[in-house]
Amino acid sequence: MIGQSAQVSDAFERVTGRLGYVINHEPPGTLHLALVRSDVPHAEIRSVSTAVAQRCRGVVLVLTGEDLKGIGIRPRFGPVYRDQPVLAIDRVRYVGEPVAVVAATDARLARAAAAEIEVEYHELPAVFHPKDAIAPDAVILHEQTDEQGPKFADIILQGRKGNVCNMFTLRHGEGLDGFRYADRIFENEFVTPPVQHVSMEPHAAVAVFESNRLTVTTCTQTPYAVRDALAYMFDMPASRVRVIVPPVGGGFGGKTYAKVEPVAALVARYTGRPAKIVLSREEEFATNSKHQSIIRLRTGVTSDGLLVARQVDALFNAGAYSDISPRLIKNGGYGAIGPYRIPHVHVDSRAIFTNLPSSGAFRGYGVAQGAWAYESQMNIIAAGLGIDPVELRRRNLLGEGDSFATGETLHDVHFREVFDDALSLFDTDTDTDAAPPEHDYIKRGRGCAVIIKSTITPSTSNATMKVNVDGSVQVLTSTVEMGQGSHTALAQIAAEALGIPYHDLQMVGPDTDVTPYDLTTSASRSTAAMGEAVRDAVAQVRQQLVTHAAKQLKIAPDDVEMRDGVLRQRGTEGTLSLGQVVSGSKLGTMTATGSFVSEGGLDAATGQGIASHHWHQGAVAAEVDVDIRTGKVRVTRLRACAYAGNVVNPVNARMQIVGSIAFGLSQALFEQIIYDNGHVANQNLSEYALAGRVDMPADLQISLMENSETTEIHGLGETCLPPVSPAIANAIADATGIRCLQLPMTAERIINLAAEQ
Amino acid sequence: MTEGSELRLRVNGTWQDVRATPDDTLLDVLRRELGLFSCRETCGIGLCGACTVSRDGKAISSCLVLALAAVEWNITTAEGLVQAGQLHPVQQAFVDAQAFQCSFCTPGFVMSLAAMLAEPPEQRSVEAALSGHLCRCGSYGQITEAVRQIMADNDMHQEG
Repeated sequence: MIGQSAQVSDAFERVTGRLGYVINHEPPGTLHLALVRSDVPHAEIRSVSTAVAQRCRGVVLVLTGEDLKGIGIRPRFGPVYRDQPVLAIDRVRYVGEPVAVVAATDARLARAAAAEIEVEYHELPAVFHPKDAIAPDAVILHEQTDEQGPKFADIILQGRKGNVCNMFTLRHGEGLDGFRYADRIFENEFVTPPVQHVSMEPHAAVAVFESNRLTVTTCTQTPYAVRDALAYMFDMPASRVRVIVPPVGGGFGGKTYAKVEPVAALVARYTGRPAKIVLSREEEFATNSKHQSIIRLRTGVTSDGLLVARQVDALFNAGAYSDISPRLIKNGGYGAIGPYRIPHVHVDSRAIFTNLPSSGAFRGYGVAQGAWAYESQMNIIAAGLGIDPVELRRRNLLGEGDSFATGETLHDVHFREVFDDALSLFDTDTDTDAAPPEHDYIKRGRGCAVIIKSTITPSTSNATMKVNVDGSVQVLTSTVEMGQGSHTALAQIAAEALGIPYHDLQMVGPDTDVTPYDLTTSASRSTAAMGEAVRDAVAQVRQQLVTHAAKQLKIAPDDVEMRDGVLRQRGTEGTLSLGQVVSGSKLGTMTATGSFVSEGGLDAATGQGIASHHWHQGAVAAEVDVDIRTGKVRVTRLRACAYAGNVVNPVNARMQIVGSIAFGLSQALFEQIIYDNGHVANQNLSEYALAGRVDMPADLQISLMENSETTEIHGLGETCLPPVSPAIANAIADATGIRCLQLPMTAERIINLAAEQ
Repeated sequence: MTEGSELRLRVNGTWQDVRATPDDTLLDVLRRELGLFSCRETCGIGLCGACTVSRDGKAISSCLVLALAAVEWNITTAEGLVQAGQLHPVQQAFVDAQAFQCSFCTPGFVMSLAAMLAEPPEQRSVEAALSGHLCRCGSYGQITEAVRQIMADNDMHQEG
């Protein structure tokens, strides 16, 4: 079962269009919401005139930030600091910030009424770039430190001052003093732009307030975090808030934590009617994005190419509200160190408030920004020292039992094998591949990159297994199925552990009334962490089944054998089915909940401790053709390798890597949100360029490095994403001598850099 | 109560009475009035392919046409490709190749490929059929695999 490409159980619904996404949900009497959004980046709100909108046809309710004062709700939310108002209160901090909501009987009528609302602003100076935002005279977005939300064991809050939202520091070895051991010091600044998740399904939620209970159907990746945020907002016990998550149309991090749920719940609470919100693509761009980063990387090396010291000074653009930036800068901070033995490390990583939409979790979670810096710089160092870049990496890669810069000892370390596997792209040139480019204006080059990425630690997952009286089996989890195939993988794990066919098992959830707590569906953690919880649940259910079968057979439990979904007395023919055992037990159902809880955490001052339960290890080798007349880059061949431990479902695992390559390639060559005085200038697919099918490498090789000696599962959702951009950059430099320090590597940028040469 | 005037559309082989306003797109009406949720809005400007339906056998973006313009058309959605519980060969090929992840884009891909298959063989272009479709999950490898299977099966039927 494990190791087979079991088919998705709802494939019929997926190809016929019958999958029940949130946007299909509409209880009778539903009100549709339209938001009035700020068209200025930073201002005090003088007045919001809603009189005309109130009288518009179909309008049931109009609310503004003023209406949220003194009505017994807590109108701000946020996973770490509760700093984001459901509707702007007194002040707007970015273009696109919701200022008012209109609820009407029809979505069109809601939009028409929203267009009648006029807002008078007193504009304030605005700041958009993190460097400008930390300048001494910069306008400050948040005058006081906002109320802190639930404590996360892995988030250290420190350094909040001015526009600094949070800071992560790491000091390892002698820190900056370690540079005295260096023969040469390389220093570069690397930049990545804000980019959008562009999940095909937009954010959407349907909220119902009934019998003093709130039920929200939403496409979140974090059902329990959304439940708790709503319970706090309405001062209700969590037991009276229910979050249901149907299949999600892509998340990529953009659907973690509350986003559109609070405003839908607010309207449902006010009106007593179901309230539905679906964002347009343009609104998606004002909701969430990947952090723009500016990473100054200083690296000391010996003349024979050993890294001895590294200083990381990272600025991440948080936008106007904290969202999960306080955590992301930690991952982005130690994520800029790389999979190398570096004895002396000094990291300062900061999240900076600016007058832009909030940044949040994005596939790669800060590590993609860090890898862009260090894997680009490895080639700069190699060129500076006259050492082959592959050789330079081999001299420094971490090995089994080495310590990472957090001080933790690494186990199950395979960086060298993963790196060599990716590089095998270049040993097997077929005739076509070996053929030189057709024209002399096409320059061909090769590049590689290798990365280390953590998974969220500490973390908790629970899974419940339920065996019914007819012998049918359900697995209840709060893992969100968003296309990554986790439900299929978890069903395979459960079916194998119980010894029943995969198709006989039904996955249930997420539904916070029914399915047990899980931290989040993100960080490439579900198959690994929830998989462990599932195995624990099955082990407990098996024990119950054996105990009750022993009673029924009047034998000792040790004499009961359970195999292929049936129980029997060892050495005899007669069997008891699962249903017979449950029936005989008189329990009605046999249920057990299993858990996975990982430990860890880092010291606030030094960043030393346990950063990750296990480490994701990935590498990419790429070959590019660069047209030096136009600057256009084509990735012709690419090989990605991930350390995969034990692969549960090869086809799904492979698709996660292919998806990571598509994501990485798109960001390497095309993607950037362009802001013009805080306004998104490219807020739909007409101007926001994405890689499509034709941009994918003609020769794309995916390698899952398995380890037959382990049952440990390694997450694969992100592992091969961070190395894509630097591998392509290194290939472009190899082909043309042009070194991009900034993403994306558009034709325009390449041509401009060529002109400077 | 939906606004607008009554209108008769032929969808998935059946005449349907729906209500539509002059600015309703075909996509709006298929979803709101008929519950045909296989058509989805991702961009709303005809670039992503997620709202693709068949108009008289040709793939079109249902977000770009007004419902009132569709009265003379024979419209098919991904739901309507299923005949007597049997998936259309393109849908079956997508299932066999697992050519989807989140599946939000899948019916759109299916509709364009089904429309291509309905063309005379010399006019079929896989590239053209796939060019207007975005899959953000990046299931392109498996989609290519499904297309290979579709074309191979089709050639076999032609020869047979």
